[in-house]
Amino acid sequence: MEAMFQGLGLILDPFNFFLIFCGVLIGVIVGALPGLSSPMAVALLLPFTIGLDPIPAIAMLSALYCAGTFGGSITAILINAPGAPPAVATAFDGYPMAKRGEAGRALGMAAVSSVAGGIFSLIVFLVATPLLAKAALTFRPPEYFALAVFALSMLASISGKSAVRNLIAGAAGVLISTVGIHLTTGVERFTFGIIDLTDGIHFVPVLIGLFAVGELLNQSQALNVAYERITSIVVRLPSRADFLKVRWTILRSSILGTFIGILPAEGSTVAAIMGYNEAKRWSKNKEEFGHGAIEGIAGPEAANNAAAGGAMVPTLALGIPGSGTTAVILVALIMHGFRPGPYLMNQTPHFIYAIFGAMMIANMMFFVLGLAGAKVFARITLIPRTLLWPSVFVFSMIGAYSFSSSLFDVWVMLVSGIVGFLMLRHGFGPAPLVMGLILGQLVEESLSQSMIMFDNNWFQFFDSPIVVMFFVLTLLGLFWSPVTGVLGKLFARSNARLKGGD
Amino acid sequence: MNQDPNDTGVSEGRKETSVSSLIHWTDFRVTVIILAISGVLYTVTTGFEEVAAMLAQNIPPEWFPQLLIWVIVLLSLVLPFEHLFLEKGAAEIDKDRSEKVKPMAMITAALLILAVTSILLFGTALAMVVVCIALPLLWGERRAKVLVPYFILFPLAVTLLFTQVLKVYFEPGAFGPAIQ
Repeated sequence: MEAMFQGLGLILDPFNFFLIFCGVLIGVIVGALPGLSSPMAVALLLPFTIGLDPIPAIAMLSALYCAGTFGGSITAILINAPGAPPAVATAFDGYPMAKRGEAGRALGMAAVSSVAGGIFSLIVFLVATPLLAKAALTFRPPEYFALAVFALSMLASISGKSAVRNLIAGAAGVLISTVGIHLTTGVERFTFGIIDLTDGIHFVPVLIGLFAVGELLNQSQALNVAYERITSIVVRLPSRADFLKVRWTILRSSILGTFIGILPAEGSTVAAIMGYNEAKRWSKNKEEFGHGAIEGIAGPEAANNAAAGGAMVPTLALGIPGSGTTAVILVALIMHGFRPGPYLMNQTPHFIYAIFGAMMIANMMFFVLGLAGAKVFARITLIPRTLLWPSVFVFSMIGAYSFSSSLFDVWVMLVSGIVGFLMLRHGFGPAPLVMGLILGQLVEESLSQSMIMFDNNWFQFFDSPIVVMFFVLTLLGLFWSPVTGVLGKLFARSNARLKGGD
Repeated sequence: MNQDPNDTGVSEGRKETSVSSLIHWTDFRVTVIILAISGVLYTVTTGFEEVAAMLAQNIPPEWFPQLLIWVIVLLSLVLPFEHLFLEKGAAEIDKDRSEKVKPMAMITAALLILAVTSILLFGTALAMVVVCIALPLLWGERRAKVLVPYFILFPLAVTLLFTQVLKVYFEPGAFGPAIQ
């Protein structure tokens, strides 16, 4: 209890409060701008936090994460261009509502659902993080290895075009993490005689390159894209009738979003799409979906914000990122000298409560900002791309450089960006690669330690029920979707043939 | 030219069963590239310094990277056939690559490389100015009243923020001191 008050007290410090406000403001702006994403913003903001104390730094980044997830809904509703991937599902019904003159009602519903989902997940975060951390204290290297493999296998089902591509990108990320000196033997691996590589490839330049520069090159191909804008907006809170209509949708999506967020690697985008589908499935007015159903906004918005809180649980309790953005927050934790995982909760519990407090305040702040300033934030898209993206590159360049005052890191950032652009073209997302890069060290170290413990006898992995459980979950995660997909197709074909035969 | 409706059915039937239609040729080329890179990296791993078994504790330094390369190779072999298992088929994965990379993207990439190279010559601060002039111009910005304040004020603000507030050391570049 003392730790909780200490943590919350730290967040209420005026300077920290101001930083949270900055995080929320930047988050909503970035979320609202098509092309700019939360992971990119958190990666670009990392260098600014170097001089800050760890708690305000992580609090600001967490606030940005919450607000960024919500910000995407503004442009999704007003210009049919989701500012961020988690808001894609919001556009399905948000834009039709805006077109028929109900933009204010749609934005109000998006704000209320987002806050409801966010607060629900933070309550779960408060309860689940200490419990999960306590359970993880008993984990030995084999359990950690199985957990990390499970997290990597979850890449198969994160949003993206294909499971196989996500897995390849994840494995490539792990492979990149092996660059540098091998800890057990001191042997240089993949350094090609370059001294800067002996230390390994730093996370920050790769993150900035993949998320920011890759997208910049993508944007250079779409300079003439224009958006149809809804301008007459008076944002209003949902009416009693609206609220009664969506209350169960919000609750269902909040639970679903939090659960998806807690799963390693799964993030807000998956949660939002599932939230939308579930809202439609349970709705009495399915035919309204796609034409401006209010539940079609409440479902994805509650789910994507709930996933943001949920994703912090494995990140802080296990050191396993719950989403692309929390992967970047995990890097920030490491940069500020923290060791994410069960020991974080054990040794610095006030830190966890401070993050909880920061995210709770962020939810309140973006609710007020979202309602009061939606009209202004919608105008942010008027910033010329010809100035916005050069600014992003300047921040990328300086961000990559300032991490360790090394020009080599700027080159790493640039190469990562160009590779990221080419990968994106062929359906390989940047998030799986980042996940692999971050989890790489844990995977290799825990595997090596396990093999030493087991005297190279693989079968001893199966002596631990936790390891077996994670391996079973891994297999289910990898094969459930393709197997059911193929069976479904075969079933549909045989049904069609039978009907044809009739 | 009249078309026999039966012909269409036959050709579609052939199409369905032909081996060629089972393979997605763009992904096949992607697989070949991944295999080539994997081959090179695997060869590199065989050149890692050898260490005594006792020091390596039965886990030689090349073992884990080689394991990963095998995983990547096996997964990449699925790629040319993956479209058969996708709900929307090849359409979904081909959406972003249906058109060739636009020259603007390539010119932008070249400009970014030049900008980073210019840090060595002109230093970090001037490289930022280069980016803030060249990139908007390349992307079609011609309004002087927008561009001039932007390339002066923005790099100046960023330089002050990083050097004075965040105490980040900026590269002076080869000609930097002379320019200053």
